[in-house]
Amino acid sequence: MMSTSGISPLGEAREELLREASLSAASGREKAQEESGPARSLLVFFLGAEGFAVDLAHVRKVLRPTRIARVGGAAPEVLGLMNCQGEVLCVLDLRRILAPGKETAPAAAEEGKFIVVVQHDGKEAGFLVDSVRDVRELPASSVQPVLDSIDPSRARMFEGTVACCGQFVGLLSPSACLNP
Amino acid sequence: MTAGSVDLLVVDDGAALRGYDCRDVVRVEEVAGEPGGYLVRLGRLGSPREVACREVLGSVALTAREIRPVPEALRERITGEKPWAVGLTERGMYLLY
Repeated sequence: MMSTSGISPLGEAREELLREASLSAASGREKAQEESGPARSLLVFFLGAEGFAVDLAHVRKVLRPTRIARVGGAAPEVLGLMNCQGEVLCVLDLRRILAPGKETAPAAAEEGKFIVVVQHDGKEAGFLVDSVRDVRELPASSVQPVLDSIDPSRARMFEGTVACCGQFVGLLSPSACLNP
Repeated sequence: MTAGSVDLLVVDDGAALRGYDCRDVVRVEEVAGEPGGYLVRLGRLGSPREVACREVLGSVALTAREIRPVPEALRERITGEKPWAVGLTERGMYLLY
């Protein structure tokens, strides 16, 4: 049976349910925010099996790598320069940044990978990562201190740790990663 | 060279393409006994210096529109001579010294 507006009673009931669900979700978000402080949007990505996150506020874009021009005389973490829509982007190897002084396997072919362009305090660079998983909105209070088990030289690269995607994920400090 | 452009001598240093202002080039010498080795002598515009390279690729004219600043993230991570700009063309990317 159709109502006079042309929408069936079943359709009306479903719309009403969706409206209620939407209101309830919004109120739940507000309540969660009141309880745990402001939310942070984090971009979650992976290097191999290890997960990392960076605050979305510092992410300018995520790209697929194109031709990366090598640079002679640059530090080992510099993979090279890439033409990013008419701008020159410095691409850095996050693996090397996170393991300073350690021998890491040379960056494999860039095919299938991503470049996360991070900006902080007027500085910008692209970080080559294996995969980009998700954007997660988490209460700011869910950011825990950096795990004690992490090597101190590596620990300075992190703002904290968050539980996400079924594992503990290191929340990167954009400032530490961008500054040599 | 025209206003708003620069003529570059492009060389391959084995890792990347470098561009040197043609007006600064004194001469290019082939290194005896080392096939593919060249020595570019510079210094017409400033202090004399030499650059060893694997190959001399020729010259290219870059307009101001094809010149970009060196990203800060790279500038901080280069030891030795630092490029003053990056040439960005459809043919490739050159570090300008």
